[in-house]
Amino acid sequence: MDGSRRSISVYCTNHDHAGRQCWRQLIPAGCMSYVLLITFPLALGASCFLLRHETRLVIGVAVAALIAHCALVILTPVDQPVRLLGLTLNLDPLGRLFLAGFPAVTALMILATWRLPHGEHFVSIALVIIGVASAMIVLLQEPLMVALLLVSAGLISVLAIVDLPSRASQLVEPRVIASALKYLVLMALAGALAYLGFVLINVYRPGITPDLIAPRLVLALIVAAFGLRMALVPFHSWLPDLVEDASPLVSAIIVVVLNTTGLLFLISVLQFFPTLVAENERGLALLTWLGAIAALVGALLALVQDRLRRIAGYLVVYNAGMILFGLATITPAGLMGAVFEAFNQMLAVPLLMVSLVLLEQPDGRPPKAMRRDLLWRWPVAGSGLLCSCAALIGLPPLSGFASKMLLYQVAAHYGAPMIALLIGATLLALLALARIARDWLIGAPEDQPVAEAQVLLGATELDMPSQRRLTSEPFIAAIVVLALLGISLAIGLYPQPLIETIAEVIRGLTFVRPDVVR
Amino acid sequence: MPIFTINWAIVSLALSSGMVLLLRDWRITIPAMLINYLSVAWFLAQQQFITPDLTIGELTLSTTIVVKVITGFAASAILGITAVTFSREYNLEDLDEFSLAELRRAARRAQRQRAGEPFRLADYVVPFWALVLAALASIALPRLYPIGSQTIDFAWYWLGLTGLFTIVLASDTLKTGLGLLLVVSSIDLVYTAIASTVQVFPLALLSLTTIVLSLSVAYLSGLMYGRLKTLDLSVLYKP
Repeated sequence: MDGSRRSISVYCTNHDHAGRQCWRQLIPAGCMSYVLLITFPLALGASCFLLRHETRLVIGVAVAALIAHCALVILTPVDQPVRLLGLTLNLDPLGRLFLAGFPAVTALMILATWRLPHGEHFVSIALVIIGVASAMIVLLQEPLMVALLLVSAGLISVLAIVDLPSRASQLVEPRVIASALKYLVLMALAGALAYLGFVLINVYRPGITPDLIAPRLVLALIVAAFGLRMALVPFHSWLPDLVEDASPLVSAIIVVVLNTTGLLFLISVLQFFPTLVAENERGLALLTWLGAIAALVGALLALVQDRLRRIAGYLVVYNAGMILFGLATITPAGLMGAVFEAFNQMLAVPLLMVSLVLLEQPDGRPPKAMRRDLLWRWPVAGSGLLCSCAALIGLPPLSGFASKMLLYQVAAHYGAPMIALLIGATLLALLALARIARDWLIGAPEDQPVAEAQVLLGATELDMPSQRRLTSEPFIAAIVVLALLGISLAIGLYPQPLIETIAEVIRGLTFVRPDVVR
Repeated sequence: MPIFTINWAIVSLALSSGMVLLLRDWRITIPAMLINYLSVAWFLAQQQFITPDLTIGELTLSTTIVVKVITGFAASAILGITAVTFSREYNLEDLDEFSLAELRRAARRAQRQRAGEPFRLADYVVPFWALVLAALASIALPRLYPIGSQTIDFAWYWLGLTGLFTIVLASDTLKTGLGLLLVVSSIDLVYTAIASTVQVFPLALLSLTTIVLSLSVAYLSGLMYGRLKTLDLSVLYKP
């Protein structure tokens, strides 16, 4: 701190043809699409909030808006940064890939709620989160802003966690409030740690500032912040609780949109602050091991859970460990694996959560009955659950296979212990999946054929047990499951275009090391 | 800073955040939080990290300070109004008989708990030692890990540590929220005081985050009180 006074910098650096600063245009032409990307979902979110009691109308409007948003993202030119009110707005190819994916996947999830119970504000909050996520991706070059937007998005999603269906006759469960509170506290702390890290890197001047404000401290703060955000072991406790207590679709939005945006943010932070990589050789080597161990612990915890939702939550935690491993290697293959894995997560988690919602529907049997035959009872949802877990684990031919192969390939360069750790983690996750199948999906049906009771003298129709009506799976939700499954399968069978897109972006990152440091 | 010069802004800042950590009654902690925001603004105005651009009578200060004061008032007012009115009442006509019975049961349980909860000095022992620990750490850390001047470092370390300890020791939702607000205030202070370029958008967004954070805490507190008729966190984890 030099102690001198500073002025607040608010400036516009758009220039007219003569090179003079152009103050007249509030929003320069190049900024329009970026501004639309941010404000369009926010405005629609506000409209949906006003119309929230008209459930079907709101779902229709939201799906149409998200499709329009997706088209807008595709039409927005990439890598054409503009300045607006002192902020740099830009959309890079990686950002565009995910920013097109978020509304598409969210639209499918919202469509799935057509006949399924969901929170009164789910649709409007989902749209607001998409708007904030768009702002974060467009503003990736402004880390202080993105850190705070990530906190704000987390705080907004708290409202969705405790949300109840419109005119619900039940009360919100205390454990849901506990999960929401835990999420709120941890996300606010994650934001504070990240912000502190960026302030410190902002004042860091090699050889001038005290050595203690070293990139090592900044990296530690940022890793802790992103560890909390992405639910990495040992910062993971909020995620299994959230998946267990909140509506699965809300958990899906949080994992898919906010955690993935967190990953993109981390990549951009490494890009814009290369000292974090250059001066943290040992720290990054440690992080690769921590990532692999986090995956192993996540898979182990998934195996020992006794509730379906918690197993699902821990499988996501396992996946987060794999992503950290790939990212911390700072090699092209590792980063490609991490980004591809994040894309896989964007497909697998909604598939998992929509399947969970379908499987948890009342199916005509007593509510307390242990249900072990869900695959036979709800074939589409059961298959969706199996395939989504398989995609998270990386089984062929689903979308997670190529990314996991890339990660194993990088791990092989680190030696036998590293590859053993990753394969061990995957085997444990596989066992957890086998347990899901045995305990919930492919068991014998409880409805055993019973001998027809003799009709007694004087018995009427009212004395007979009522005939149980087993409804079929909700059509639209089943279509959504099949669509997500189809996309995952298509990417698994033909990953080349996606790999090429990601590889192109990775080649443009300056902090990536060409070789693997053992 | 000369040894015998007392910086009253720092004293006020330290006392108010200490009260938030130590005391339990929201009637004291929420006004203490407001005083804390005013003290931070006073400290920033006094140090003049940012060029003053506003003259009010004989006082010259930066617009940023005014924004921080308004943010502090807004956050404290949101929590204060929540605490006064408490409870987001459910639409009772929408609830089924089981839910209505559950609400009545929760109200009885909370009433019993309040009746059997006399003032105990023992409840303040751990917060007191946490306060002592925060004080020692805030004096030692500026020497061990200096980032700005000693005064600035003491101020932000103190705010951050009292905030963290408040979160850890909080027994109710509202106090957890106050702890979070102290942590955010600490980050706000360190950014305003030491960042090489202070930009308006991060500052504005920090204020917005503070307000959204207090709104979220207020919403959760209201929801919890409406459901369980208490803000006691232990109730959330009872089977």
